[in-house]
Amino acid sequence: MQARKRVVMGCARSAGVAMQKLLTTGWSLPDDVEWVEMPCASAIDELHMVRAFESGAEYVLVLSCHQGACRSLEGDQRLANRVKAVQSLLAEIGIDPSAVAHQRMAPNMASDLRAWITSLGAPQPCLANEQDAGEA
Amino acid sequence: MIVAERKPLPEIIESIAGVKRLMVVGCNTCVAVCLAGGEREVALLSSALRIAANKDGRELEIVERCVERQCEEEYNREVAAEVADVEVVLSMACGVGVQTMAQQFPNAIVYPALNTTFMGQPDELGSWSERCLGCGNCVLAQFGGICPITRCAKNLLNGPCGGSADGRCEVDPEHLECAWQLIYDRLKAIGQLDRLMEITPAKDWSPSRHGGPRQIVREDVQA
Repeated sequence: MQARKRVVMGCARSAGVAMQKLLTTGWSLPDDVEWVEMPCASAIDELHMVRAFESGAEYVLVLSCHQGACRSLEGDQRLANRVKAVQSLLAEIGIDPSAVAHQRMAPNMASDLRAWITSLGAPQPCLANEQDAGEA
Repeated sequence: MIVAERKPLPEIIESIAGVKRLMVVGCNTCVAVCLAGGEREVALLSSALRIAANKDGRELEIVERCVERQCEEEYNREVAAEVADVEVVLSMACGVGVQTMAQQFPNAIVYPALNTTFMGQPDELGSWSERCLGCGNCVLAQFGGICPITRCAKNLLNGPCGGSADGRCEVDPEHLECAWQLIYDRLKAIGQLDRLMEITPAKDWSPSRHGGPRQIVREDVQA
């Protein structure tokens, strides 16, 4: 049986910084979580997310900066649009679209990051992103 | 350019039911520019098909290729060996490319993965609009460079109709501008409003598709 796998991709300027802070506290990523740091959330393409599922990921969490805080200006919104496209594709395949989730965050949100990673794929509705839900 | 969009995935999956080895072949010209059938879209569709097959417990091997221009046989020759080595070719080209592939490789089973939609232009990133129907007798000079055949929902050559309001078309006010408002504004801007005083006779559609598929032969450039 294939081992459970979860993939977390995030912007180096927010999620990457928070991840480094987390790791310096002695916390370590769960064994089944693969962390992929990207130069900007806008560099996370639909293909990256779909390939993550193809490589066996059950859940994919993508992380951008907050709206208005992206150094590349619109990276978070571009990512939000791509997440919607991937969710549509997953639905077409017959996979629960909520298997891919998007969170916006700041570099000082290490504890939130840890909580999101810990609960990624858990049955409770822990990944509802109010900002994205409002846009839908 | 020719603008297309991917068919719904369930339709594509149904078309390749039972197939264990296929090639997804894209085209690097129009459909790549409109983000429907270039290298990235080939990779994305192939990945989605593999996920779907894996989910259903089916074997599926996919050869991913993209040629420069699928509507010309010389570019398709580079994938001839792979075409012969798969059960099905899933073409992400426009309908022209799909037919070229099927004609060029008579023993190959070639299915379309895209719906070819129109000849148009990009408005902005991720948005395209129809601009030409290929009617065979261009009238753009008469209408200030705005085609009433394509852009007027009623194809009116003597407009506007009564459904034009605030520059919008009654057929879909939210998305469609009234072509005749655009024509008026444009002709006014270039000092040719007098053109609107001419009554345009009913269009001669004989250069269009009324004689069946059209062909252009240029003897001066033929070998």
